[in-house]
Amino acid sequence: MEQPDAIIHQPVRLKIMAALKALPPKEMLEFVRLKTIAGATEGNLGAHITHLEQAGYVKVEKDFAGKRPRTRVMLSKEGRRAFEDYVTYLREIIDTAGA
Amino acid sequence: MPISRSEAAQTLKDIESTQGRSASAYGYSRSSPHLILWGVIWVIGYGVPWLFPGRLPWIWLPLVVIGMLGSFAIGMTLRPKVADKSDPRFWQTFIAIFLFVWAQFAVLPKFDLLQAAVYFPILVALMYALLGIWTRGARMTVLGVAIGVLTLAGYFLLPQLLLPWMTIVGGGGLILGGLWLRRA
Repeated sequence: MEQPDAIIHQPVRLKIMAALKALPPKEMLEFVRLKTIAGATEGNLGAHITHLEQAGYVKVEKDFAGKRPRTRVMLSKEGRRAFEDYVTYLREIIDTAGA
Repeated sequence: MPISRSEAAQTLKDIESTQGRSASAYGYSRSSPHLILWGVIWVIGYGVPWLFPGRLPWIWLPLVVIGMLGSFAIGMTLRPKVADKSDPRFWQTFIAIFLFVWAQFAVLPKFDLLQAAVYFPILVALMYALLGIWTRGARMTVLGVAIGVLTLAGYFLLPQLLLPWMTIVGGGGLILGGLWLRRA
């Protein structure tokens, strides 16, 4: 990878991806919790999640928990791989520059 | 646009910090129902001998069984969809603590009722504190320290009120702690 993945490289999207990668595979994170972790506003977070969803990096599930509407997000297989590639890319920059 | 070494290092640091927060929040959401369940068990276990002295001296036996079955059921309900390779050191730590307690009871003189009433909460406090330290879950450590300090405060400062103290502060504290973790 010569260039960083532009989809992941954006700071809020990077936080979303990092937060989801910290969970076990196929586990979902609630939108509200993700908002706190990413430190983003609701609208901003929603827009970035849509961007990641369109790229196929995350999956979004909307349902009800009792009577309360709930939005949950999880990392897709492609998203997991893309994030790992992105981290490898960052590590390579550090290793190359340090060599 | 390629990124510099310092930018890459900073980004990796941010990733690590975000992942730490996310992992803690995930752990809290998994631990919260257990704390609430055991909080209710403490309220009953300490509340019954406080409100009905001399009755149901065996109350803790079924309560512990119910608690363990409840915790098992919660664990099964909340288990990850894909089985993860959990660190065996956690289970080894619990086995070591169990053996330590068993050895302690075998060696030390018998506890009186008040000592027994605070011994297990202190042990629980230690386990929460250790869990928090190992999983970098600051809230878990805070809860462990709070349970330990409040239990000892009740034992040394209010021994004649220990049962109501443990019912309200111990049991109630666990329930509030569970709710606090859920909101993290």
